[in-house]
Amino acid sequence: MNLLHGPRGIVKSMAVILILGMLLSACGQPAAPSAPAAEAPAAEEAAAAPSGEVSRAETLVYGGDFTDLITLDPAVVYEFGGTLIVGNVYETLVSFNPGDPTLIPVLAESWDVTEEGDNWLLTFNLDSDATFASGNPVTAEDVVFSWNRAIDINLSPAFLLTDVCAMTTESTTAVDAATVELRIPQTVSPQVCLSVLTFTTAAVIEKAALEPNMGEDMGQSWLNDNSAGSGPYILDRWDRSVSVTLNANPNHWAGIQPPMKRIIVQNTPELANLQASIETGDADIVFDLGAEQAAALEGNPDVTLVKGLSLILAYIGLNALEPPLDNPDVREAIRYAVNYDDIITLLGGNAELVQEIIPIGFLGHTGTTPFTQDIDKAKELLAAAGVAEGTEIDAIVPNGTGPGGIEWATLAAKIQSDLAQVGLQMNIQQLQSSELLNIYRAQDGKMVFMNWSPDFPDPDGNATPFASYEARSLAWRNDWDDPQAIELSKQAAAELDTERRVELYAELVDYVQHSGPYVMLYQPTRVYALRNNVQGFIYDPADSPVVSFWLIDKQ
Amino acid sequence: MTRFIIRRLGGLIFVLFGVSILTFFLAQVVPVDPAASALGSNAREEQIEAYRRKMGLDQPAVVQYANYISRLVRGDFGVSIRTRRPVIDDLRDFLPATIELTLAAMLVTVTLGLPLGILAALRRNTWLDGAARLLALAGGAMPIFYIGLVLLGIFYRQLQWLPGPGRLDSTLQPPAHISGLYVLDSLLTGNWNALRNAAAHLVLPAVTLGAYSTAVLLRMTRASMLEMLGQDYVRTARAKGLAESAVIGLHVFKNALPPILTIVGILFGSLLSGAVLTETIFNWPGIGRYATTSVTTLDYPAVMGVTLVAAVIYPIMNTLVDIGYSVIDPRVRAE
Repeated sequence: MNLLHGPRGIVKSMAVILILGMLLSACGQPAAPSAPAAEAPAAEEAAAAPSGEVSRAETLVYGGDFTDLITLDPAVVYEFGGTLIVGNVYETLVSFNPGDPTLIPVLAESWDVTEEGDNWLLTFNLDSDATFASGNPVTAEDVVFSWNRAIDINLSPAFLLTDVCAMTTESTTAVDAATVELRIPQTVSPQVCLSVLTFTTAAVIEKAALEPNMGEDMGQSWLNDNSAGSGPYILDRWDRSVSVTLNANPNHWAGIQPPMKRIIVQNTPELANLQASIETGDADIVFDLGAEQAAALEGNPDVTLVKGLSLILAYIGLNALEPPLDNPDVREAIRYAVNYDDIITLLGGNAELVQEIIPIGFLGHTGTTPFTQDIDKAKELLAAAGVAEGTEIDAIVPNGTGPGGIEWATLAAKIQSDLAQVGLQMNIQQLQSSELLNIYRAQDGKMVFMNWSPDFPDPDGNATPFASYEARSLAWRNDWDDPQAIELSKQAAAELDTERRVELYAELVDYVQHSGPYVMLYQPTRVYALRNNVQGFIYDPADSPVVSFWLIDKQ
Repeated sequence: MTRFIIRRLGGLIFVLFGVSILTFFLAQVVPVDPAASALGSNAREEQIEAYRRKMGLDQPAVVQYANYISRLVRGDFGVSIRTRRPVIDDLRDFLPATIELTLAAMLVTVTLGLPLGILAALRRNTWLDGAARLLALAGGAMPIFYIGLVLLGIFYRQLQWLPGPGRLDSTLQPPAHISGLYVLDSLLTGNWNALRNAAAHLVLPAVTLGAYSTAVLLRMTRASMLEMLGQDYVRTARAKGLAESAVIGLHVFKNALPPILTIVGILFGSLLSGAVLTETIFNWPGIGRYATTSVTTLDYPAVMGVTLVAAVIYPIMNTLVDIGYSVIDPRVRAE
């Protein structure tokens, strides 16, 4: 039969598409040997060969939704996935141990806080043993370079240094190779600033390695495919939207020898695929399973489930200048109208009831839950405030899934029906979260459904944004300019005595709870599933790298 | 023939010109400030101003369009807001994955749809015809995500005969980047391990994506063949004692081909759009997933890049189909 005749067009078309693909690949990568590829197989193979064979037993595959991964540059990274990787590749001067809020030395073996005129002077003595993966010593010059670079690049996380620590490129000096001095104004709490310095933004990059590769973007794109850190792992490769591969640093200066020689951080956004990958053993650890997947894995003999609280708080913002929300009694009435227990049930138990601005796990968390649904009380408060039955309030709600795996729309519909019981009509408008944030940031929201996760592991990471109008964060977005809350948040941040600090936060929590512009809803849990042979996994929400890969072993 | 192709390619330039105008002005009406979004939310006013001047955003729209075109010609598609890297780099990473998937689905379509369609027509009203038509009905009626989930459930999770989502096992490293098509690249570099793995990973998504087009092609081929089989000249050919294989091959199939070819061209377009769903289900790092994420984050340079690429592929497919016509039917060439 003359079958060949037919598909000839198809064969041709395939050829053209192929060429199109090759052209495109050639466009983007001028250095690639594009045309006579087949003639140079030897060179190609060398490039393709994996950098050292690592057996599956020594490889940890860590699966989850890493769609947020956009950069691996410590100065730019501000996403969950990015901090996870950067936290294992780079090191900071000081850090926290998982589950313990006491600062521990890393690159700095000791540090001092002294007063110097109007400033705090923080002096860091670097560990003389500290070296980068390249073998070069970590010097004060590298620290100054790294911090100033983050300030100069001024992307998402830079405000931690420039706003929270009030740092400029003049603040840090290298006194000698092993001594770094940081001067910050006395209006900033040195405690809070030290907490900030544990975050990946303050990680130390090797100046000598990065400088020749700075290019036009100060080395941002170079650091996406190369690393220049001192941590237990080295970046091997990043296949965009697929996976990031890390190899163990064979000569870590402090002698950390990770049992897992290779880490593969695998992007698996679909929950069903995530569940399948842990069931089949394709992945060793997966995280952020939904309630449904967790239930399905319960009782699986090969898999252990680990649940841990995240530091995220889900809340509703109530704009304090928009009638009728400008009346504190109306805001209080809304807090009494919500049925919090139902919400926890809706979340399938994947959350804790938290009604304050400081999450469980932070110093200053009080654990008070003054609100349970009380329809009569809410109606009374509304009547006293002169709010008519059927008053409409516009709410904006993000698209997609909120913290704890519940659809934002479902949560909003639940609150809508609660409010209807007290005679308030809540109109829901669903928006793309980027669009919603634009409205919220411009102080144009009325009721806004959102969540907050602290930027650094200190109660101030929540207290100031929620309480201080001056911080131009949450209080500002909700038009809540309250002198007492501002003052309390400042005092608490600057307080050096821990006990007194706890008291101040208790006072602030209580004040914001009843006068503030928020309905605090819950703190979600994160569900991890581990293959049974995985050991040494510690989940700590307050630890900035979130998971320390070098502690993990497999049997 | 050459003149015909040149004429068609000339037309392509006009299409691209139109698309570039469309995407450019689409970007103008998107409610995003390009400077502010490129620099992030902490950028100071003077940084934003400097960026506007540098990128020519303070110029009138016409001047901006001219700049845009001159950048495009140099292969500069702009920088993605979300991924913060040149759109052309993103396309280079993600487009080959989609092309590989689409070609594999096309292969499934042609190797299953065409012979089954022909057989069904030749054995009309036998059990074989019935089976083929049932297959066509199932393939045409079941939504992609359903087929995908069922196939994954059976062949990956239960039987574990085939690997799961993704283009390669996570522990394998991709072959050196030549075309970006893993099967081709691993073949060229002699990386047999990667070749086996990449090919195995292709099976389920290709069948999923190709199911609908296989069904359509099968039915179309069957109908077209049947129509030709009933023609007078076929009876004549048989009457003059021509071998049955010659009757079918030279007279029936050749004449049944033009509508089949049209369908293949159209199906290719539908494969590209179906790739969006398939890529999501199979965690396939292709341009469909890239496009959806870009759209939902209002990443307009990325959306413009994807649109332009799609706008190139469609006319090229049409041109190829037309060229195909002129090969099988000289009357088209004479036009």
